[in-house]
Amino acid sequence: MTIVAKVWIEEDCITCDACQDICPEVFSITEDTSQILAAVRTDGVFDRNIGGAAMSGSTGTDYGEMILEAAEACPVEIIKFELQSDGASETVTEVAPAEAVAVAAPAAAAAVATGGSEALQTLFGGDRSLSIFFGSQTGNAAGLAEKTAKLAANYGLVPTVYDMDGFDPAALGNHKRTLIITSTWGEGEMPDNAETLWQSVNSQSPSLSGVSFSICAIGDTSYDEFCKAGTDWDEKYVALGANRVHDIQLCDVDFDIAYGQWVAEALPMIACVDESGTLQEVLLDEMIEYGSGSGEEVASGDFSPATITQDELSITLSLFRYCPAAADTGWDTIACAIPGHATVEDLLVAVQHDVDGSLAFRRGNGNGSPTSGIRVNGRVVLADLIQISDLVNDGGVLKIEPLPGYPVIRDLIVDYSSFESQRSATKPWMRADPRDGHTLLNGSAMGTMEISTADTLHAMTDVVSYQLLQSMSDTFAYDSEYKGPGVLLQQWTRSIDPRTGDAQQKDLVTSIGSEHGVWAEADFASIARYGSDGQTASKALNAARGKLLNSTNYSGPHGRLVKWYGRSVKWSGKVNETTLYRQVLGPLGLLGNVFDGVSARMVLGFTRTGSPPFRSLQALLLPPAGIGKIPNMVNSKVAAHHEVVNLFNEIDQRF
Amino acid sequence: MAIKIAYYAGNTARASSAEIEDCIQPLCKTLGIVLVELPKASSDGANIIKQSSPKLQHALVARNLALAESKGLDVLTTCATSHGIMCDTIDEFSADRSFANHINNMVARTSSVEYKGESQSRHLLHFLVEEIGLDKVRDAVINPIRLNVAAYYGPNMQRQGACGDDDPFMPTYMEQLITALGGTPVEYDLKCQSVGAPSLLTINKPVMKMTASVLSDAKSNGADILVSACTISHSNLDSYQSKAGKVARKDTSMPILHLAELVAFALGHHPTRFAQLRTRALVIGG
Repeated sequence: MTIVAKVWIEEDCITCDACQDICPEVFSITEDTSQILAAVRTDGVFDRNIGGAAMSGSTGTDYGEMILEAAEACPVEIIKFELQSDGASETVTEVAPAEAVAVAAPAAAAAVATGGSEALQTLFGGDRSLSIFFGSQTGNAAGLAEKTAKLAANYGLVPTVYDMDGFDPAALGNHKRTLIITSTWGEGEMPDNAETLWQSVNSQSPSLSGVSFSICAIGDTSYDEFCKAGTDWDEKYVALGANRVHDIQLCDVDFDIAYGQWVAEALPMIACVDESGTLQEVLLDEMIEYGSGSGEEVASGDFSPATITQDELSITLSLFRYCPAAADTGWDTIACAIPGHATVEDLLVAVQHDVDGSLAFRRGNGNGSPTSGIRVNGRVVLADLIQISDLVNDGGVLKIEPLPGYPVIRDLIVDYSSFESQRSATKPWMRADPRDGHTLLNGSAMGTMEISTADTLHAMTDVVSYQLLQSMSDTFAYDSEYKGPGVLLQQWTRSIDPRTGDAQQKDLVTSIGSEHGVWAEADFASIARYGSDGQTASKALNAARGKLLNSTNYSGPHGRLVKWYGRSVKWSGKVNETTLYRQVLGPLGLLGNVFDGVSARMVLGFTRTGSPPFRSLQALLLPPAGIGKIPNMVNSKVAAHHEVVNLFNEIDQRF
Repeated sequence: MAIKIAYYAGNTARASSAEIEDCIQPLCKTLGIVLVELPKASSDGANIIKQSSPKLQHALVARNLALAESKGLDVLTTCATSHGIMCDTIDEFSADRSFANHINNMVARTSSVEYKGESQSRHLLHFLVEEIGLDKVRDAVINPIRLNVAAYYGPNMQRQGACGDDDPFMPTYMEQLITALGGTPVEYDLKCQSVGAPSLLTINKPVMKMTASVLSDAKSNGADILVSACTISHSNLDSYQSKAGKVARKDTSMPILHLAELVAFALGHHPTRFAQLRTRALVIGG
């Protein structure tokens, strides 16, 4: 038998009459909302019963089934009720439609709220919602928000995680228990997903009266504006009338300990805020004991991790297929719908399960496995890390291919053995000099290095997948002997590590400078476009080139290119292509252009003949230019050319 | 009302790629863009000087940006590489203020200007789509392109922060512009792939293969011509296309235009050259 202890109507009723039609004894529709009739309430009032007055007499039993039916039929899900069984009340929480990106709370959070003193039980009897907002640039704050949500259930709270992106600032005041976890980006700026909300809050200044809050800010002490985003929110919340129940926690790059301290103190504190918004600090010790699980009551329920949920996306999936037995390639087109928060791997698993069991792809560990790389919509990504919503374009098309540059074994599975053999051959692992007590034979202390060197090395070894890094290079797919940026970065990192022995350093630098080493990369720009890993690799490999140029005194075609490019710019402020071609290609190279049709195209080509024909004829007689019509033999100088010369002299006098 | 912007010609638009200079000036006049010259601006180092001295390249770029900033203007360029290089320096300065101060001190000592981060770089493509607007461009078209046009973006400006609101990996701005100019955009996979332009003189076969793959991919998808957003990559795609075809054994023969030329032709400039292009694309082919 269903016995309803209390029933109430939340905001946003659309007066559709459904509840009144089903149970006119309890519900009555007024002009703008449904209300609970006075006759079925112990307080005898006719309103929405937000105060939660109990059902009078046997009305909870008589109309229980109908109230449930009405709640189920309510299209906007605003009819709330509490069930009564064996003398205890059980709150039935219906998840509201998500505002922006919300996280489903652990379903049985309310089930934890049993045990403890009578006062604690009274506290647990009311609204126990907790809102956790995150402002995150790299995912750290979002991860901590999820972790906090899991821990919140221990204190009888019903947590919901909100992405600040797209959140309505006017609704902030409705979230009576609020935790904010935010990182700081750049020079004290909000993370991208929080910027709009921050601007809106500043312009609209919504009232946050009655809101209890605490903030955990993540930052980096090496920046002047350490944790500024967090402190900005902290000050803003107070300014708008909110009550800070626990001081802001400022966390450095290694945030685990500081975050742990904050969550252990802030959660029980905010859990002591009762339904009316009053902090019941006298219950704090009991709440801490309750949350730690040291009480007699055993918490039970579904404690599966919370997940960030997003709306379902309709996708046209274009999937590369390759069958080695039939030596057949092709594309499958599949129309599907999948939540935006799902990873590409989730999508592939679903296709394999529901559409074609023969689909082959590498599964990762769900946390960015180095070998789970594939190419989606033109970018190389780790399938078990990247979310669909980060990739899908306006047309809802998702084109999935194997990682470029590697031989394909089947469908999306590539053969990484070339990477492994290159890596093995280049030996980028540590080979330190022999030890003698606490110092190396070269006299330096073992295992020590400058902080800046350690920072540089850490940054370079933070790359998630060296296999993926190989495919970021557009050259990699066109030069089977090229070591690739993934292998070269490991070599370069090891070569600048002060713990590396002299012999290994020499070996590594020689290998990096070899024909298929760093000079074989045709364009660093193709690597640098891939976020922080690509930027790290392209900068490191550029530095490797700088070291090699110095050690070889700018010899060879690469050295001559850099030397003469620099010189021509220093001499006139402009590059002189004629000089460059002559110096880099040499007479044989230029002659080769004649036979390869380059010179002919130069003269006959349409687009490169925009200026006087004399220049094109010149190209026939004098072969120094390799591109387009022949440019000036001698450049005119830019205005204030001496400023350019001074800049060269100030920074680099080698040109 | 005319929009004023400083003009940076890049490294070759006033040397081997003079056809861009022929086109950028009249097209800007038609669309109400006033190009303000930076006579003191130097080469940006083209990511070649950077190999020897990143600091020097950043200083050259910061000086150019500072020259525009002293006039209170952003910088317009027609070269994707130059735009990407300017964005690199802008990003580097914004991420590391002490590095920015260090470089600015040197630029100020030698040139009496410094870059405060106010002037931004704009590529012609993004400027036309985002500032001028496709409707205005469409209204100004006199000679619709009426060719199948493949757009080549290259990698330099196709990264977050350098390509406006366009998708870095699956861009559509140039296709939208081609449509506005009366052409038919051709979709192909390799429109953002590098053709190895910085290594044209130093790496032979892989660069030729990269160039050939872009051209043959565009051609096999039905392109009559290919339009490039990058002045430097243009050399690989155009002057070296027959060599690339020979090395990679692919059909690479196709007229190549720079974006500035395509827009200028559609807006009615250089009609004879446009007629020759149509003949070449539709009758001769390569």
